[in-house]
Amino acid sequence: MENLGPAVTKLLEELNPFAVLGTGATQGGELAKNAVVLTNYSFFLIVAVALTAIFFLIASRKMSLVPKGIGNIGEWSVEFVRNNIVLDVMGSEGVKYLPFIVTVFFAVLFNNVLGLIPGLKPGTGTLGTTFAWGIMVFVVYNWIGFRKSGFLGYLKSFLPSGTPWWLIPLIYPLEIISHFLRPFTLGVRLYANMYAGHIVLGVFGIFVVMAASALGPVTAVVGGLSLVMQIVMYAFEVFVAFIQAYVFAILTAVYMNGAIHAGSH
Amino acid sequence: MDKIIPLTSELLVSLVSFAVLFVVMWKFALPPITKMLDERADKIKDSLEKAEETRVEAERLLNEYKEQLAEARLESSRVIEQGRKVAETMKDEIVAKANEERESILARAREEIQGEKRVALAELQASVADLSVAVAGRIIGTTLSAADHAALIEKYVAEVGSLNEN
Repeated sequence: MENLGPAVTKLLEELNPFAVLGTGATQGGELAKNAVVLTNYSFFLIVAVALTAIFFLIASRKMSLVPKGIGNIGEWSVEFVRNNIVLDVMGSEGVKYLPFIVTVFFAVLFNNVLGLIPGLKPGTGTLGTTFAWGIMVFVVYNWIGFRKSGFLGYLKSFLPSGTPWWLIPLIYPLEIISHFLRPFTLGVRLYANMYAGHIVLGVFGIFVVMAASALGPVTAVVGGLSLVMQIVMYAFEVFVAFIQAYVFAILTAVYMNGAIHAGSH
Repeated sequence: MDKIIPLTSELLVSLVSFAVLFVVMWKFALPPITKMLDERADKIKDSLEKAEETRVEAERLLNEYKEQLAEARLESSRVIEQGRKVAETMKDEIVAKANEERESILARAREEIQGEKRVALAELQASVADLSVAVAGRIIGTTLSAADHAALIEKYVAEVGSLNEN
């Protein structure tokens, strides 16, 4: 038991990004924020994004009127996003933005799933990625809002309709703040889910290894239960990988939908 | 606090990766897929419409055939009935003709028989008279006078004639 503390510390260190390319100046054992490096997370991000592109490029070349094989999976994937995210949230107006939301959904999904392979890291398991994509969504939906309603029109639309004039000084800053919080909540939600998932799996892994190295009647039970839990949690993480991609994409759609209809309330 | 400040390199890599992926999806991967989805939706809609059309057409044809069949049945029973009537009349006619013919044949036969009978009787009378005279002459041994002769024949013939009349 006295090994648990160091083991968990090591696990947490394991989850810190490190440079696979380039030499990062370090600050107290960690990479400097502005070091020009390719981190392990960035590396797996590129792998996952490349896999996404390859999958959809192959699928799109295998189209047939009677759906079959990989073409069918590609079609089904796009249809899922179109029907369950774009059409559900934005209606037929949103079909225009399908490519963006499909890309968001599958970029997140492929990264999440890739990170579940033991030894690999999800590109979405680092704040660098999730913040970047959150900010990107923020920029895109606000750009759509300004384009649709005009600069002042869009700024005015932040006020809920029917706000009494004397509440405007209070409500308006709050609305602005809530908008600016969106990229961070998007980023932190996704990052925390991936990070926490790896910690949970890691901790149960540590339990199993510790129990195996000090085998006895009690540790056998604890180790066995931990192993079962690890399998259960792994299945749960597969579910989380999908759900978080879905949540990220659906929130993107919701924010875009709000921006599209900003002028109409 | 330091933990939640992202690495600049990671921010840039993820933005560039996303941008590249977005262009690939938008320009190359998605158009064929969405085109196929729309095409299939259209195709299914068309097929359903066509199937409905075919069904209506089939129903119309079926009704038409049913009508024609009923008409044909009616027509055929009418023809049979007519045929039966014709046959009936023909039968009656034939039977009547046959009866008529039979009657006429019978009548002719009867007439012929009567005639033959009369001729036969006349011949019989003549030969019987001659025979009788000869036989009687022989038995009696005398020759009768011509007057007696004639009287005898007359008598005999009258007898035979009366016999024949019955």
